[in-house]
Amino acid sequence: MKTKNIKAIARKEFYHLLRDFRSLYLAFAIPLLLILLFGYALSLDVNDIETTVADREKTDLSRDFISRLEASPYFRIVENQDNIKGVIDALDQGRARLAIVIPSGWTADIRADRKSTMQVILDGSDPNFAGISGSYISSFIARYNANLLADFLDRHGMQRINPPVNPQIRVWFNEEMESRNFIIPGIIAIIVIIVAALLTSLVIAREYENGTMETIRSLPIGAGEFLIGKAAPYFLIALTDVLIAVLMGQALFGIVMKASFGLMILSSSLYIIVALTLGLLISSVTKSQMTANQMAILITYLPSLLLSNFVFPVSNMPVVLQAITKIIPATYYIDILSGIYLKNLGFAQLWPDLLVLLTMSSILALLNYLVLRKEGF
Amino acid sequence: MTASADNDKKAIIVERLEKRFGEFTAVAGISFAVSAGEIFGFIGANGSGKSTTIRMLCGLLAPTSGKATVVGYDIMTQTEEIKHSIGYMSQKFSLYEDLTPFENIRFYLGIYSVPEKEWQQRISWVLEMTQLTAEKNRLTGELPPGLRQRLALGCSLLHRPPIIFLDEPTSGVDPLSRRHFWDFIRQLAAEGITVFVTTHYMDEAGNCDRIVMINEGQIVASGSPVEIIRSACPGKPDADLNDAFIELIK
Amino acid sequence: MLASAKKIRAETVLSADDKKNGFLSLFSVSYRFAATEAVHDVSLDIEKGNIFGLVGSDGAGKSTLLRMAATLLKPAVGSITIDGLDTVADRGEIKDIIGYMPQSFGLYQDLTVEENIDFFMDIFGIYGAERKARKALYLGFSNLLPFTDRPAGKLSGGMKQKLGLACVLLHEPRLLILDEPTNGVDPVSRREFWEILDKMREGGMTILVSTAYLDEGERCDGIGLMHRGALLETATPAEIRYGFPNLEEAIIAKIGDVDRDLAQSAFNVKKIPQ
Repeated sequence: MKTKNIKAIARKEFYHLLRDFRSLYLAFAIPLLLILLFGYALSLDVNDIETTVADREKTDLSRDFISRLEASPYFRIVENQDNIKGVIDALDQGRARLAIVIPSGWTADIRADRKSTMQVILDGSDPNFAGISGSYISSFIARYNANLLADFLDRHGMQRINPPVNPQIRVWFNEEMESRNFIIPGIIAIIVIIVAALLTSLVIAREYENGTMETIRSLPIGAGEFLIGKAAPYFLIALTDVLIAVLMGQALFGIVMKASFGLMILSSSLYIIVALTLGLLISSVTKSQMTANQMAILITYLPSLLLSNFVFPVSNMPVVLQAITKIIPATYYIDILSGIYLKNLGFAQLWPDLLVLLTMSSILALLNYLVLRKEGF
Repeated sequence: MTASADNDKKAIIVERLEKRFGEFTAVAGISFAVSAGEIFGFIGANGSGKSTTIRMLCGLLAPTSGKATVVGYDIMTQTEEIKHSIGYMSQKFSLYEDLTPFENIRFYLGIYSVPEKEWQQRISWVLEMTQLTAEKNRLTGELPPGLRQRLALGCSLLHRPPIIFLDEPTSGVDPLSRRHFWDFIRQLAAEGITVFVTTHYMDEAGNCDRIVMINEGQIVASGSPVEIIRSACPGKPDADLNDAFIELIK
Repeated sequence: MLASAKKIRAETVLSADDKKNGFLSLFSVSYRFAATEAVHDVSLDIEKGNIFGLVGSDGAGKSTLLRMAATLLKPAVGSITIDGLDTVADRGEIKDIIGYMPQSFGLYQDLTVEENIDFFMDIFGIYGAERKARKALYLGFSNLLPFTDRPAGKLSGGMKQKLGLACVLLHEPRLLILDEPTNGVDPVSRREFWEILDKMREGGMTILVSTAYLDEGERCDGIGLMHRGALLETATPAEIRYGFPNLEEAIIAKIGDVDRDLAQSAFNVKKIPQ
């Protein structure tokens, strides 16, 4: 393998890249946009639930309940309604996603230590959201109930009963339970797949389409040299993008790696190589930029977004899809990154994931070499 | 003879036709005229402005300035009439490779709005004229270039247009088929059909009644091939159009 | 050991054929694309330092033949040797001594003239003073020195072809293979292009070129006439022309002799229906 050939191809590839506005855009602008977008705008947390309340009583007690609700960070009262119709309208039109109706007679019942009911209505159109907000309001009301109960016992001179089982809940790894901390590793994986796979999926197809593949094949260049030369500039760019993402995560969102930086670089490099070889393979097989682009989106981008445990938990998926997630590189990379970012894991724990990535890249590179040789390279 | 009566005999009149693409001038204000029933050659290399000119004359591209009429229709305002009155043949692009000759002919009959009752007659005519009756159900893409050329030519004549535009009709075709082709063109011209041909083969231009040589958007010579050679290369009996062009460019 | 074994095999083939071995020799070469035989049983010898022209229509098999000679395709039947080396077995070595220019412009439109040349220089390992000297020489021949910073896509047709030529010449190959290099190019550029070819021939280069222009065929030392995958005749232009007013007539007659169908298939001149 001659380095001069690799350098010649890599240098040429750099020229093409620098002169193609669309590629530059994909390589730099989109990653930056993704980090900002996902980091700031997207939050899987549920806070500030838009709540509307219909208070039929308007007593001290009911107003006290409502002000406790308002004080909680989980709820934000957007409208006060006079009647049920107002509540229904607010939910229908999406102005509120949670509604509470305090019925007539509620105050009297509570003061008389009788059971009472309170209506809670949830917007179920997003089941995840409904589940989470449902449990928030339930625990809010449970706490309110506990206070009422303690007050009742006090008034009757009885001793407070401590609940027999006291769960000690501690959150490991993502202590603030900030979904952002979990999202950043996923974003980095997506960025790499876009830059490394989508971009490279065009480069070999382009040579076929322009007719320059004929020229290259008539020159004393080997298939291996060609592949490495083609991949080199995109490797550098993808690695740069990873570093930028890490820096931005730190600077803008205060997300810091808990484990070794070296391990980060190693795993990122391996993942980048997998993405590159996949992109180049698609390019060599399809020989058409348009087809390559569509195939790349289908094979690399979509699965990495949907099936890598990034947004949707794998354990909830049907068994068939779970099996498929096992062959998606992003799954392993996100696993490694989460380990580095959130769990302070080291090489000793993460080597299986690294090995999988290494194997994937070797297989893909070999396939690519064989495909080119078959085409007469 | 008054000017208008003279012009009535002209199939194409072009006056200071110009086409600019941004800063690049593809056609730089050319003027010429083609008489009815003439075999007229538009000769130039790729990128000389040939294709741009023919597209303007066929009503496919609007000129930047200047005017032209094709069989009396204005190329700026009457492009639809022009498209129905001309036949266009491009050897490389006129035919659908994955259709059979029969299907290609049927397609063009529809495109040119030929009345259905005449279809049968026209289809037989084209298949016999091009000697493709035996091949009518083979895929067009499998036919050799010479036969594809004939078919494309046949399709361009289905609606009996008074003028046909042939864009590089003989590129890639063997000399024998080329000779047959030109014999047929002469036959068409004898029946009064005007034939406008573009080509970059200088020696083929010798088949035309009159030609115009274009280079970098400008006309460098016009007249009959013999006249052009004689005036560009006086005293050289063996000179051909290649030599003439080179002399004129200097 | 392996290399010399291959060489012996090539030499045995040559002497067994008992032919006058050319610098470029084709031995009963055939090639199929799916169902069609693009090249059928072609044998040819081209002497060193000659310009040999392949003439024929599209689909005659010229490009396929040239690509086999350039090691891009493997002959299905037969073999091709260049200076004793086999195009299949000795592919790597052959690539160093040939220059191939494909039919459509095979260079990078978004790279400048100089960047294209530098790419070829990099591949062939030509650096330093030698690179400067060859750049000046070959870009000079092609009149491209004033345009080194222009993107190749913005060159005129003639200039593009001359750039392509410069790129394949700069490693000073012994055999030049050109596929219709002047197709669609203006007469002035065509003449300049062939003047460069003449100069290369004077320097001892062997050139195999396919062309659709018969006047270019006249400039060749030998012509091969191809029709429907077969090589009909190989001779000097003068020999082929013998007995006919010009080359075109000669070729028309020879095609007609071989292809009865084509000869008889004049357009059936019937009047257009009214």
